[in-house]
Amino acid sequence: MILQPLHPRILSIRRIPNADPALLLAYGADPERHRSLGLVTATQDDPTYVALDEATKHARVDVVFAKSFYAGANHGSGPLSGEILGVLAASNPEEIDEGLRALVRCLESDACFYAADEAQKTAVFPHVISSLGHYLSALAGLSPGDAMAYLVAPPMEATIALDMALKAARVRVAKIFPPPTETNFAAAWLTGPLEECEAASVAYCEAVVRVAANPKGEVWGS
Amino acid sequence: MSRTRQLVDRLREELGRSDPMPIAPPLPKIQEPPSRVFPRRHEGSRFARETAQHTTAMLGIGHVGTRYATDVVLQFQAELAVAHAAVDAVLPDDWAMSNGWIGLSSRVQNHREFLLRPDLGRRLADESLARWKQSGKHGVDVQPILADGLSAVACMQSGRALLESFTRACQARGLSVGVPVVARFARVWLEDEIGAAVGAKVAAILLGERPGLGTGDGLSAYLVYDPKIGNTDGQRNMMSNIHARGTRPEVAGDRLAVLARAMVDQRRSGVELDLSQLTQQLGDAASRAPRAPQVRERLVERQP
Repeated sequence: MILQPLHPRILSIRRIPNADPALLLAYGADPERHRSLGLVTATQDDPTYVALDEATKHARVDVVFAKSFYAGANHGSGPLSGEILGVLAASNPEEIDEGLRALVRCLESDACFYAADEAQKTAVFPHVISSLGHYLSALAGLSPGDAMAYLVAPPMEATIALDMALKAARVRVAKIFPPPTETNFAAAWLTGPLEECEAASVAYCEAVVRVAANPKGEVWGS
Repeated sequence: MSRTRQLVDRLREELGRSDPMPIAPPLPKIQEPPSRVFPRRHEGSRFARETAQHTTAMLGIGHVGTRYATDVVLQFQAELAVAHAAVDAVLPDDWAMSNGWIGLSSRVQNHREFLLRPDLGRRLADESLARWKQSGKHGVDVQPILADGLSAVACMQSGRALLESFTRACQARGLSVGVPVVARFARVWLEDEIGAAVGAKVAAILLGERPGLGTGDGLSAYLVYDPKIGNTDGQRNMMSNIHARGTRPEVAGDRLAVLARAMVDQRRSGVELDLSQLTQQLGDAASRAPRAPQVRERLVERQP
């Protein structure tokens, strides 16, 4: 069974209604505008980045901090560490709650990795964001509302697949993250019209499956 | 349904996999918006409820989440607009004359200058000063001056009532009252020059006060003994909020006359004036009973 969804698990989700200004500053928030924080850790980093961005579309929150942990969820520093810590900041706890609700919705029913091989050892994240929020759009140098294909796979698969994706659709590169990222994956953000982003994402996913099934190609393979 | 999931699902079929994908977890139900658009939380504080009855200030207005309710915001904006309109209003040129009063003007040329140059609003124009020296009654006890100040609306609305009740009350207390005069583009200190020009013992300027929320029609009165240019605010006594929902003009006239009488008797005003005996002379006007419950004028109607 290939292309099974590998659902992310939320390991912890908390809020700080009235955070200390020093803490706000340390995590990149602005004590003038922000007072409350919402924190989440999960087993998959990239779906969480997408979910954090989703939160900015549903509430007046800013993603002030989001970082992946080295070597991924299987090497976390503790049972709650997972692969990422994401921090939302807002002027009041109600905005935080609304943002976290959107984030949970997104992680539970939308953004997830898929298994690209039968053994479920290869993970691919061929995610299409039809309309960016103000977090990822700023990171990608795009505008809120733009469409973006958020593509992640292990280094070899990702490199081949990115080439396929770029050739399969009329998309342009917003940003490429060559390996190793913190979690030792490789990623790319492609943008263009929504249907082109979707075509790129499907091509990427298919290429990852093919590379996973035939790692040594036609020439070196048996 | 997740779009990415649909795409991946289709790709699986194209790759020849017919086994069904696990059913996606159902989307959590998003709460329906409330049927009333602006739900108001019941205001729990009895103190706020009762206080709100006795003032037109925005007390006990409740909240929706961390914000004001929409109708409160609209009311606030409407009241602010009333205040802006009052500041913007200009006393017509011929208003004094059409009411049978002498009209004087400060050195201010236009409304914008009036707002930006308080110093010019404190001095009479040369032409006005010369005319006033001729037409005014010299050597009186009290010289009443009606003026626009920061709210020409208030001046036009209740100026006459206050001026007349003040004049009557002064005369009843044996004070001689000068020819009523109306000053245009006037600041409080203009009373010094107008009073000094006719040698009045007390100058009393009744003028529109800086509008607040919901009060564009308030008058203030400033009284000074021995008016002369250079008097400070420490030498003045004042009374504010003279309007229908504050101190009514009829009551205010009485109180101001008592004040003027005391100034003439004690030959001083401002912080040096001894006010301790005044209450006894006020009679009905001294009443300090709590204000009757107030009804806030709703400028914005809430839809049922």
